[in-house]
Amino acid sequence: MTEQTSTKPTAATLSPTAKRSTGAAIALMVLLAAIFITPVAINDEFVYHIFITICIFAGLSTAWNIVGGYAGQLSLGHAIFYGIGAYAGIMLTNLGVSPWIGMFAGAGIAATVAVLISYPCFRLHGPFFALATIAFLEVFHQLALHFKGFTGGATGMMIPLNIGWEWMVFRERLPALIIAFGMMCFILAVAWWIRTHRLGFQLVATRERESAARAAGVGTVKVRLIAVAISAALTAMMGTFHGMYLTFIEPESAFSLTFSIQIAMFALIGGLGSVFGPLLGAVLLVPITEFARGALGAEAIGLHGFVYGAVLVLVVIFIPNGLMGLISPWFKGRDTSSKQAAAVEAPTEARAFTPPEPGEEVVRVKNLNKHFGGLHVTNDVSFTLREGEILGLIGPNGAGKTTLFNMISGFLDADSGTVEIKGLDGKWHSPKSPADFATLGVGRTFQIVQPFAAMTVEENIMVGAFHRYPNVEDARAAARRTAEKMGLAPYLNAEASSLTIGGLKRLEVARVMAMEPRVLLLDEVMAGINQADVRRAINLMLSIRDEGVSIIAIEHVMQAVMSLSDHVIVLSSGEVIAEGKPKSVVEDPQVIEAYLGKEFTHA
Amino acid sequence: MDVFLQVVVNGLLLGGLFAITSVGLTLIFGIVKVVNFAHGEFLMIGMYATYLITAQFGMHPYVALGAVVPILFVLGMLTQKLLIEPLMGARNHDIQIFATVGLSTALINLALLIFGANIYNTPDYSLRTSIEIGPVRMLVGQVVLFAVATALVIGLHLFLQRTQAGRGIRAVAQNRAAAQLMGINVSRVCMVTFGLGAACVGVAACLIAPLYPTSPGIGTYFVLISFVVVVLGGLGSIGGAFLGAMIIGLIDSLSGFYIGSDLREVAVFSVFLLILILRPQGLFGGRLNLSHES
Amino acid sequence: MKLSNILKTTVAAGALLGAQAAYAEVTFGALYPFSGQLALLGEESARGLELAVDEVNAAGGVQGEQVVLERGDAVDNNQAIGEARRLISREGVKAIFGTYSSSRSIAASQVAELSRIPYFELGAVADEVTGRGLEYLFRVNPTAEDMADTIINMIVEKVAPMNGVEPGDLKIGIIHEDSSYGSSVSGHQERFAEEAGLNVVAKLAYPASTVDMSSLVLDLKQREVDVVLQTSYQNDSVLFLQQANEARFEPLAIIGGGGGYSMQPTADAVGHDIIDGVLNTDFTQYVVNKEFTPGIDDFLAAYQEKYGSAPLSGHSLTNYVGAMAILTALNEASDFEPATIIETVGAIDIPEGTTAAGYGIKFGENNQNERARMMGLQWQDGKLVTVYPDDAAAAEMRTRN
Repeated sequence: MTEQTSTKPTAATLSPTAKRSTGAAIALMVLLAAIFITPVAINDEFVYHIFITICIFAGLSTAWNIVGGYAGQLSLGHAIFYGIGAYAGIMLTNLGVSPWIGMFAGAGIAATVAVLISYPCFRLHGPFFALATIAFLEVFHQLALHFKGFTGGATGMMIPLNIGWEWMVFRERLPALIIAFGMMCFILAVAWWIRTHRLGFQLVATRERESAARAAGVGTVKVRLIAVAISAALTAMMGTFHGMYLTFIEPESAFSLTFSIQIAMFALIGGLGSVFGPLLGAVLLVPITEFARGALGAEAIGLHGFVYGAVLVLVVIFIPNGLMGLISPWFKGRDTSSKQAAAVEAPTEARAFTPPEPGEEVVRVKNLNKHFGGLHVTNDVSFTLREGEILGLIGPNGAGKTTLFNMISGFLDADSGTVEIKGLDGKWHSPKSPADFATLGVGRTFQIVQPFAAMTVEENIMVGAFHRYPNVEDARAAARRTAEKMGLAPYLNAEASSLTIGGLKRLEVARVMAMEPRVLLLDEVMAGINQADVRRAINLMLSIRDEGVSIIAIEHVMQAVMSLSDHVIVLSSGEVIAEGKPKSVVEDPQVIEAYLGKEFTHA
Repeated sequence: MDVFLQVVVNGLLLGGLFAITSVGLTLIFGIVKVVNFAHGEFLMIGMYATYLITAQFGMHPYVALGAVVPILFVLGMLTQKLLIEPLMGARNHDIQIFATVGLSTALINLALLIFGANIYNTPDYSLRTSIEIGPVRMLVGQVVLFAVATALVIGLHLFLQRTQAGRGIRAVAQNRAAAQLMGINVSRVCMVTFGLGAACVGVAACLIAPLYPTSPGIGTYFVLISFVVVVLGGLGSIGGAFLGAMIIGLIDSLSGFYIGSDLREVAVFSVFLLILILRPQGLFGGRLNLSHES
Repeated sequence: MKLSNILKTTVAAGALLGAQAAYAEVTFGALYPFSGQLALLGEESARGLELAVDEVNAAGGVQGEQVVLERGDAVDNNQAIGEARRLISREGVKAIFGTYSSSRSIAASQVAELSRIPYFELGAVADEVTGRGLEYLFRVNPTAEDMADTIINMIVEKVAPMNGVEPGDLKIGIIHEDSSYGSSVSGHQERFAEEAGLNVVAKLAYPASTVDMSSLVLDLKQREVDVVLQTSYQNDSVLFLQQANEARFEPLAIIGGGGGYSMQPTADAVGHDIIDGVLNTDFTQYVVNKEFTPGIDDFLAAYQEKYGSAPLSGHSLTNYVGAMAILTALNEASDFEPATIIETVGAIDIPEGTTAAGYGIKFGENNQNERARMMGLQWQDGKLVTVYPDDAAAAEMRTRN
């Protein structure tokens, strides 16, 4: 291979993908400029108002998207944070404190409330989370009505019309537009930054496959709390501005379920999970709603609302990925064609295997027990793993192999017994959660592959790499290196979902390898792949071991077990029935009986 | 003491009201796994239909059952077929919520368009007569409602447990893919179940219409309470929904009397949140399973 | 100059002037909720304004110019602001009339104030509308405070004596829906009641969308409330009256604060026999002593002719009266400059008993009409009849049984 010189590509040599990205950036700049320049040029109060409204909704929807889109938690109670921001601004203004300060006070309170509300609810998925947020919103609404002395009750609160930048109240419209536009750009910048750096990757990974994310060392609760806090703070800040713009706030409009749904809807129609989708949604929908209301609103009561509801239904059915889903192929140039050319030569036969001397003990499992109800699924299991060893874990179906794996990777608690991992410091640790295991250098794959479907191959691997390399560029480089080793380099920009099962298995391993683990738990990586891929996989595992990684592998493919393992443990009905060198285990009559039944023991 | 008894009885009767409106949602949410935000609007449509039938033909509202229930059954099936099924393949399952929100908005405004914002009152045919049992007072219509709610719950439970069709429905609820492999026509089962859920709402509508004023917004109150009841009872558990409804009815009535009417909703939603946080599977629900795959 | 030239110039000038006179128009804004939840009564209110404009235009317009109304839809607070901006900057309105909803009014009027355009509130009742010290805002209609005042006066002057008790012996229960409307009226009810030495034993709020008020009824019954003051919309009025009846809760008097209590569908839903004797306070309604409200029959006729039905509520009348007074006054002004308008309107002095709503108009503190008052009403034989004050009454107030 010729050596790659690392020169920056010139415009002429930009790949089509890069060209499209630049095109996208330019389009975005043009759009933002248009949002600011159009009202200034037309210089009409009403047009100013429309564009200020666009900025407000774009900002709110983008902030919402951090939770609803990136993290995938459908919050229909975001009006809580909007209301907190608005009330904070107005209350403090009435006390003589500038709303600029009020904005930050509101943001702080909103972030705190967000964390307190969300933490207990994160276990809830999809609709339950949405229902919980609605319930919280209603509670806030009722409390705001109830504590009249504090919030002004149902009749709301107003601010005195003090003019000036300090008080955010102006006679002309331009200053208001400047503030709204500025805040929208700030929120967009924050959203973009999150998405393109570690936090965003971890959020999307959590959204897509929470267990795989946890196995990759992502603190799934922590990252979602961070996202929720940021989203709430940004929403509150925009709420403060809007409150000052309206000069008046009341519980009815501040803590409104309809308003929460509207914010979420703009994000949905624009494109959940995309950075600029909500902006697009707001830019399109605000003027259209204005126009529709003007045309239809006065015709008959309910006509405008009916059309609105019907359009929403149609959009959801026919454009579920939103507007960004429609236009992003033009800009991203994602490689969705599944290039199935063999990137790595399939070896004609597996490499001859010479086991080195295994080193010190690195994993110690003692007397592990687990019951599922009356079923004793793990019965007094003990074994050790030495450094540099490949340990095969075999047994008939239902023996409890994956359960055991779950207990030695933090996904399941044992009823009794210990699991100890030796850390880099040489001391023995008893980790509890997947994150703890990940920190100690234990990585695992899953029996049913769990790729992060919404991301590319490169991004998938980066999620694992982030565990070692917080910086996004370092993580990208590490991911590329891992991809090379795994033979996935040609597919870096492909959508993960477009790979074959063999590729997906390799991706699964790659993601874990990017974490640079010391112990690798492989759950049936050979299952369901063809012969050529099996040979590739065997070579892969050996090269991984050569790098110093110790492996425990659950396997059914006997060829692999025999050729790879230094040591084999046989599990049947939760108990260890045999262990030793592969050859001796295979001839053990108890093992044969367990797999094939008594009739075959004398075969 | 008398007052306390009356408050409790009010709570139970309210529970009957919530039970009859929520049992349909248990089927739809618990089995077809659809978050139907338009649930309240099905009730509204049923109530308007009941009003029209009683006003046009001078019939007793209970007779209107014969027309309203089939209408809503069909409406439920259509919603499943035309709105929910196309969305099954979407990458983001939460999208379904938006679809039903859109449906809800469209239906409320359609009612506004057709009927206007004024309230309509279905004639009550002496269902508003009070019965006095000791110190406690109830309306005939409320007692009938309670009785029908109980009968409906028992009937549905037996249907699901004892009949072949019911078994098919439960199979789909537990494991859609496996049910399909067993030869069950999942699409048709979902349609029928949704229709059945909507039909239950139709029954509720006919019984409620003589007791409460009908307006386009009547559904919005019921939908949130129905979700609370269903979650409290446990997804897919009909008996759980009934019990949940009773509990919520009692909490509503007791907190309304002893704490204050403006904080009733706070009480109900606080209970809801506690359940969601501490025991999301509800009182009788099994392992929480909202995935469409398994 | 030659005669022919003079003639030509004169004719040309005359034609020009005549043309201007024929096409001279002045635009005013009509900012109401025309869509959304409040649309029903928003539209009704706007109709009063439109009838006033028709009448004024038929009489030659204002300052010789025909009045053109430009509608703005205040469907929510943000929209109210936008529409106000549009009316002022795009349509060039000289003033804005509105708004029925207090929150819309508060939001939109601050825009008008900052743009120095007069804003005439014809129907919103919350205090805060005129409580902000705005220079360009005037309100003609009676407020929540006036409503509470009338109610308490009715209790003291009529209800107590009619039932043979001292006002101080009555147990008063105040219940209200929890939005701005219910909260503002009930707040004043409590205050005036206490000032009048009345015994308020309960003040309970509930969400307007409630489907059940049995706990509330039971609570009031237990406290042996004699007079219930409810401020509510249609749904909750119906619920309360029905459930009170069913629970055999029979206070000496039930007094509504407008809203659902003024609407015929409510009476039809509850049942005319059950609602009979129930009292109410609201804007002037249509069964009233016509001598106190001259012009009301003409108004009813004009409404019927233009809209093909009787008015839905008293909102149209109230808006009509306010708009008429202002437009008539502006007719005497010299121009449509904001300062002139403010000065002219500020000087209006119309005595009581000369408008179709009965009350007079004179703007006092915060530009609120000090002569505005609400009427006391009662459901009698399925119709809403004015019973208080005596000079406006069309019938005697009765006791409930």
